[in-house]
Amino acid sequence: MGPLYPQELLNPEYNLLIGALIGIGFGFLLEASGFTNTRKLAGVFYGYDATVIKVFFTAALTALIGLFFMHYLGWIDITLTFYPKTFWIPTLIGGAIMGLGFVIGGFCPGTSLSAAASGKVDAMAFIVGVMLGIFGFIFTYDTLWESLRKSGNMGKVNIAQWIGIKEGLFIFLFTVIAIATFWIFQKWQDSWKQKMSEEDINDLGI
Amino acid sequence: MKRREVLIIALLFIGSAMAIFLPDTKPLKHIIGAKQLLYEVNKEGRYITTDEVAKMIMEKDPSLLLIDIRSPEAYKKYSLDGAINIPFNKILDKSNIDYFDQDVYTTVLFSNGSSLADEAWLILRSYDYKGNKVMKGGLNQWYKTILNPQKPADDELTGALEKQYLFRKGAQIYFTGATPVSTAKSSKPKAPSKPVVKRKKKEVTGGCG
Repeated sequence: MGPLYPQELLNPEYNLLIGALIGIGFGFLLEASGFTNTRKLAGVFYGYDATVIKVFFTAALTALIGLFFMHYLGWIDITLTFYPKTFWIPTLIGGAIMGLGFVIGGFCPGTSLSAAASGKVDAMAFIVGVMLGIFGFIFTYDTLWESLRKSGNMGKVNIAQWIGIKEGLFIFLFTVIAIATFWIFQKWQDSWKQKMSEEDINDLGI
Repeated sequence: MKRREVLIIALLFIGSAMAIFLPDTKPLKHIIGAKQLLYEVNKEGRYITTDEVAKMIMEKDPSLLLIDIRSPEAYKKYSLDGAINIPFNKILDKSNIDYFDQDVYTTVLFSNGSSLADEAWLILRSYDYKGNKVMKGGLNQWYKTILNPQKPADDELTGALEKQYLFRKGAQIYFTGATPVSTAKSSKPKAPSKPVVKRKKKEVTGGCG
């Protein structure tokens, strides 16, 4: 409960309780909307299912536009929100590894947990892999990755400021890119549907 | 595409198109945390003494902005030179914000005592307005120290205290137009007051011997 707990408006017990309730709700919705099906997440990489990219882009855009307007109206101070410094080289490598994990496993860390809760054994194996990765990284954090972690430091940057355009214009351009992406993925998905037989589609279970 | 998807895309498109016309984000004025406020209340750095205020007025310090937060009636009866009147219940009015939320002037709030000005300072500070000060003791202290300074006892009249008293007498002349003759008289005896003590000492030592 980001802003409430640090301001001491919420005691730690309620903080945990609310966190648990939100977590259960989130997991339930992931399960209910079919994200715990590995084929749905992998589908975005093969092109037969565009749901995930639509959801991610829509969520990001809704938050982006919503926060921007709320800041303008004085409801929330966007400059107080936290975002870390950018180290572009390790971010790129880490992103590629994470993406590879998505394609191979068909889960993201969140969906693997709710899939495991609904009894999927492959999700449990995925969690073991996630843990191995996490602990492997922790124990080699200072020895192996020192130079990689610190490479490509760009400091605290905001893309609009970095390119040198107005923030509102950046939001608009980003929306246009997102809509174009929706359209391309939709076309890709449609072309798959023509190639696949009814049986194949039913077999995916998505 | 489904109708729902078209609707979502249209909404996102309209929202982001409107965003083009909005200004870039700047930090909002925010209310400072209770911790910081409590720290500053205890620090008492908000106070400015009547002597300092008097000095600034006499030196015609252009950075001084005196704000009388008492009622308009009280303000009409008596106030400090150059003070403007913003009654306590109007300090947060939009038209007055420019006086408090700025860093050009040293804004000095005053009332009859310290408490009303202190309360005003607390409200303004909680909105993160900086540079406001409170005249310690208010107009009562102003009367006691500047308009009608009490002469300290002779044996205390040395060093810093003497300097302060002389300054206050000077300020009294400046603000009330009191005749400087009286101060000349009262300041003269200070010099002999030391020899008087010495004489006494001599008498005592003589007696013992």
